[in-house]
Amino acid sequence: MIELEYWLIFSSLLFAIGAYGVLTRKNAIVVLMSIEVMLNAANINLVAFSSYYSSLHPDQGPDPSGQAFALFSIAIAAAEVAVGLAILLSVYRRYQTIDVDKINILRW
Amino acid sequence: MLEYAWLIPVFPFAAFVLIGLLPKRTLFWEDGGGYAIAGAAGAFVLSMFVVWDVINGQTLTGADAPRTTWLVIGDFEVKFGIWIDQLTAVMLVVISVVGTLVVVYSGGYMHEEGVGRRRYYAEIMLFISVMYGLVIADNFLQMFIFWELVGLCSYLLIGFWYEKPSAAVAAKRAFIVTRVGDIMFMAGIIVLFKYVGVLDFSALFGQGSQSIVEQGLISQDMLTLSTVLIFGGAIGKSAQFPLHEWLPDAMEGPTTVSALIHAATMVKAGVYLTARTYPLLVQTPESLLFVAVIGGVTALLAATVALASNDIKRVLAYSTVSQLGYMILGLGAGGYLVIHSQIGGGYAAAMFHLMNHGFFKALLFLCAGSVIHAVGTNDLRLMGGIGKKMRITSLMMLIGSLAIAGIPPLSGFWSKDEVLASVFDANEFDPVFALLWTMGVATAFLTAFYMFRMWFMTFAGEPRSDFHAHESPRIMTVPLMILAGLAVVSGFALFVGDGFKHFIELAIEPLGIVGEDEALLDIAVTILSDPLTYVTLVLAIVGISLAYRIYYMPGFDRSVFVKGVPGAFHRALDNRWYISQFYDDFAYKVVYGFSLVADAFDRYVIDGLVNGIAYLGANMGNSIRKAQSGDVRRYTSLIVLGIILLLVFMIYVVPWARGL
Repeated sequence: MIELEYWLIFSSLLFAIGAYGVLTRKNAIVVLMSIEVMLNAANINLVAFSSYYSSLHPDQGPDPSGQAFALFSIAIAAAEVAVGLAILLSVYRRYQTIDVDKINILRW
Repeated sequence: MLEYAWLIPVFPFAAFVLIGLLPKRTLFWEDGGGYAIAGAAGAFVLSMFVVWDVINGQTLTGADAPRTTWLVIGDFEVKFGIWIDQLTAVMLVVISVVGTLVVVYSGGYMHEEGVGRRRYYAEIMLFISVMYGLVIADNFLQMFIFWELVGLCSYLLIGFWYEKPSAAVAAKRAFIVTRVGDIMFMAGIIVLFKYVGVLDFSALFGQGSQSIVEQGLISQDMLTLSTVLIFGGAIGKSAQFPLHEWLPDAMEGPTTVSALIHAATMVKAGVYLTARTYPLLVQTPESLLFVAVIGGVTALLAATVALASNDIKRVLAYSTVSQLGYMILGLGAGGYLVIHSQIGGGYAAAMFHLMNHGFFKALLFLCAGSVIHAVGTNDLRLMGGIGKKMRITSLMMLIGSLAIAGIPPLSGFWSKDEVLASVFDANEFDPVFALLWTMGVATAFLTAFYMFRMWFMTFAGEPRSDFHAHESPRIMTVPLMILAGLAVVSGFALFVGDGFKHFIELAIEPLGIVGEDEALLDIAVTILSDPLTYVTLVLAIVGISLAYRIYYMPGFDRSVFVKGVPGAFHRALDNRWYISQFYDDFAYKVVYGFSLVADAFDRYVIDGLVNGIAYLGANMGNSIRKAQSGDVRRYTSLIVLGIILLLVFMIYVVPWARGL
């Protein structure tokens, strides 16, 4: 049984790496990938806390709600990636670039 | 028959609706003139039936009259009903006869107007309709509604030629000036309503029982206030001093409209209102004195201005103001007679003069219309010698002028004499009436002079400008002849049946009038044996001969009279005693100055506040919106920064703050 702290440190690291990617990369696909990493960090948190809860209350048996949330989240992430990639595709068709610094027409 | 009297205004109103709404092809003769004549004639016939019933002693006042609830506010109900008494009957006679003849005459007079005729006939029908509504109303509120509608119609008709700036100005002026009176009328009604709580004539006049003061509903002072205010409405509508200046300006409308306004509707409404409130007025001698003084001053003032007028319609307009002054003076003096000696003579005389004036003034105006129709100008100085070409019109106008000048046996003589006699009688109770009587007699002299000045300038002598006068078509001359006939004979109403005096006195019988059982012959004898009658008569004849000397006899040196009159006096007359100018100055300097201040306050303080806030918002938005750069990475870094700050706040600042 791995301690909860390690899971949390792991997920924080993943989250930070993802955030760093979002902030620093120009390629929109890489930004999207970094967002996926951040999303998975959150999923790990969900699962970790779920198992921690079960270990605190052994008499209640394993608690599935955290895992179920994680599964939902993964499914939604898949749908989100599909939508995001479709947007990027049409952005590329329109501007011949997916550099997020250059796609800045949605402004004042 | 009387309970159907409410149908009288319905006829002209139906004509108004039909003329206004029917397709153009179905309007037939004169663009709706046919409907107008039918509407006026229908009302005329019904009025005559009603008047016949009243002559036979029936009246419809108070509880037995048909009424309908118009408005319910809590416990308070506004009811509409009809009130038919002798006073109403006199008004019905005047309105129906003059109204119908004016509409018939319009068929010829407005012939060249073209498309405007439809509007003209519709408006004139509405005008006649609301005037009928006014005289049959049985409470002050109903009366006030019709009163305002009369004002509206006069505005529309005076401004009939609204493309002409002077007509538009005159219409506005008539509307605004009469509105001053209307506000006073309304204030008077409100005072009555506040104290008494009802506006029905039957309740206010306390028929047969105690008066409202005796019932303790209203104090004497408040009743005086309210009667003076209600009379203020009459001052506005009947063009009494100091609100008389709108009437001469109202000459900008078609002459038929002037005839209608001056003879039958509008200005008679004020006199009618004063006569209608008589049961209240006689309880307040102060108000009566005020009424009489206003009437006397107006009569003399307007007569003097008419001396110097060079516009044929303006002379007639000032003569109307002056004659209305007579009626008001007669009512004021008559009230004193009612209070002190229980005689209804002044009241009867004033209403008698109202009826006679209705006929001869309509005649005079329609004659003037006929002249203007033929000559194409209003200016007396450009006329002259028309009598040879328009024999009928000149003869009819001569009859009208003789009637208004008070030459027996025409109608004006009888009624004017009765008015002056009652003013002289009231002298016994208040010395002011001696002065007012002198003013009245002076007015009679001036009236004769200026009317014949006008007649001689128009019809006698040689033409003073290039015009081709011709007699008017028969549709115009026949109404003239009918009116001339009435102007001749209406004075003899004194001696028909029970006599006009006895008839009209019945309307104020509940005030404790002791009916003088004079034989009709005695009335004539009284009038003809009174030396004062001859004072007036001689003055009138002197006035006519003076006009004849100055404006007809060739070779007469007119400069004698011009020199005889001081320059300032003549200038004052030319400028209508500067009253009009005073109003203009008042409006320009005081009202306009105040408006400028109000405008500046509105523009800079109130608008400035609103605009300042808007300007602030816009500027702030302008500077903040730069943050929306469209740069995704900047957004994300700001989000991250925000989260970090939030975390720092939650983890460090909040526990630290709690620990304090």
